[in-house]
Amino acid sequence: MGDFLMAGFSQATAPSSLIATAIGSILGIVVGMIPGMTISTGIIIVLPLTFVLDPGISIALLLGLYVGGMLGGSFAAIMLNIPGTPSAAATAVDGHPLVERGEAGRALGVAVIASFIGGLFSCLCLLLIAPRLADVALGFRAPDLFSLVLLGLTVICSFAAKSWIKGLLAAAIGLAIVTVGQDPVMGTARFTFGSTDLMSGVNFLTALIGLFAIPQLIGNLASTETGTRVLRTTARFGRVLPKLSDLRRMRVPVAIGSVVGTFLGVLPGAGGPIAAFLSYDYAQKATKNPPEPFGSGAIEGIAAPESANNAVTGGALVPMMTLGIPGDPVTAILVGALLVHGLAPGPLLFIERPDFAYGVIVSFFWANIFNLLIALAGLRLLIKLIALPRTILMPAIAILCVVGAYSLRNSVFDIYVMLFFGVLGLAMRWLDMPVVPLLLALVLGGQLEEHMRVALTGSQGDYSVFFTSPFSAVFLSLAAISVVWSVISSRRTAGGAP
Amino acid sequence: MARRDLIAALVLLGFTAGFGLLTLRLPDRGLPNTPGPAFFPGLITLALGILTIALLVRSLRGIAVEPAVLPGAVATRGWIAIGAFVVYLIVMPALGFLFASVPFFAVLTWVYGERRLAVVTLTSIAVPVALLVIFRSGFQILLPSGIGW
Repeated sequence: MGDFLMAGFSQATAPSSLIATAIGSILGIVVGMIPGMTISTGIIIVLPLTFVLDPGISIALLLGLYVGGMLGGSFAAIMLNIPGTPSAAATAVDGHPLVERGEAGRALGVAVIASFIGGLFSCLCLLLIAPRLADVALGFRAPDLFSLVLLGLTVICSFAAKSWIKGLLAAAIGLAIVTVGQDPVMGTARFTFGSTDLMSGVNFLTALIGLFAIPQLIGNLASTETGTRVLRTTARFGRVLPKLSDLRRMRVPVAIGSVVGTFLGVLPGAGGPIAAFLSYDYAQKATKNPPEPFGSGAIEGIAAPESANNAVTGGALVPMMTLGIPGDPVTAILVGALLVHGLAPGPLLFIERPDFAYGVIVSFFWANIFNLLIALAGLRLLIKLIALPRTILMPAIAILCVVGAYSLRNSVFDIYVMLFFGVLGLAMRWLDMPVVPLLLALVLGGQLEEHMRVALTGSQGDYSVFFTSPFSAVFLSLAAISVVWSVISSRRTAGGAP
Repeated sequence: MARRDLIAALVLLGFTAGFGLLTLRLPDRGLPNTPGPAFFPGLITLALGILTIALLVRSLRGIAVEPAVLPGAVATRGWIAIGAFVVYLIVMPALGFLFASVPFFAVLTWVYGERRLAVVTLTSIAVPVALLVIFRSGFQILLPSGIGW
């Protein structure tokens, strides 16, 4: 491991990689803090660049953006009381009251330090867990892999959907789309209608741009909120670096947030928002008589969710790197970006390209370091970017979406595919149907079919092979529990709506 | 009755029927006792059918809560934006990236609420030109050229 770690360190610490990480971090912070923009949108913007860059540099850029986006989301939550990302919603509860008291710098400083510690903790866990989990996963056979992918799909559906029917329908539509093109075992053309463009199937990244960016561009028409409000508060910014007393108060909440965030990050679908609110709740219970009550500017109420939502990033990389199972849309995009370069995340990545696998972990470490340095050094300047005019930003993103879809294969057909998925995304939004299960079905569907058919070919069509393997049986049981759990919780929360 | 869910269920029923029919027509090229190319699409058809019927039943029972609708003015601007997108994509292969992007950018800038003519004109030229230079010269990414750039 030591040699591979050093090789990864060399790759991720090359000047080009470091510059990419820093640029990604700045972009991520900016994108994350502009209300209406998401980390996914930020990644879509830089996606065309990743096609021409070296894979190591590409992943450094994307990881910087991922980590920076999480922190940027909190800046908007604190300054405007509008979470830039869903994960930052809990931060606004105690962050914004401090801004109203003229202590914006203090709130932001605590958020930056807590995010850094959360991110670093999850990076350490990633380094310790990922190679070992990859070793275990190497023993998985086709039935186990099929059941694992199925588990990943069901867990995500149950978390992502308000209605389990709509969540599973979205996943089924995604699986149907995956079958377009040559089948993964025999190479038979399916649902191509004689089109050569469809022979290689629907490209996941093209679909992603349409599904996420176009509905967001249309949705942003409804928002009249601008960042101008923030300029009033920056006049009373105050001290940014937390005082020693604040650092003391942060210790327990940050520890809680780091552990909860990393753990929930590993679970597909749980994600940042759940981790942030859960940590906030635990921190509230663990803090006796805080100087400021929770909800009115408690330092603990910023530190816990902030460390949690950044710790989620490292946790989410564990299943992505070791099993090839993305836990959220951003890691799904990372999988897609790696596939473009012929690198399939999964246990074999640690065997075939250990230098790259460890390089990803080291790049993630650097992303956290740059996040801290950039945020602390340029905080006052970065905050002003919240007021970037939407009237110019949104059209520019629309054009970047087109460039992104086109540049993947230099094909106008892909732009039409993007538009199709954009309309599909709008229709799904109109129906309150979640797009995340569809997106993840697009990523995982090919693997699901391939492992299933390889397993059944090996067993001569005997379906018991999925239940006789211990790993497979456990994964299938967990998948069943996940679906049943989502049905029960859906009935409880929606007053009976399935 | 939940109107949107009903519409979705009916559309999905049509999609499922079409998908199922096309699946039945797929060639059966497989080894004996092993699943062929139609196996997985067949399973998806089954899943889609069951879930769509569940959605249909739910919509007829009127359980669903209809999601919020965009305000009228916003919806109109949304349709204009989508229309502009469609026209942009249709004309781009012929006009090229730059000549198609300038009017598209101008329309979107207006749709997003910018009414100062000078700003609309300046940005709708400057941003596409900047993007073209960055991607074509900086990153060697080819963009549709059409009659122009």
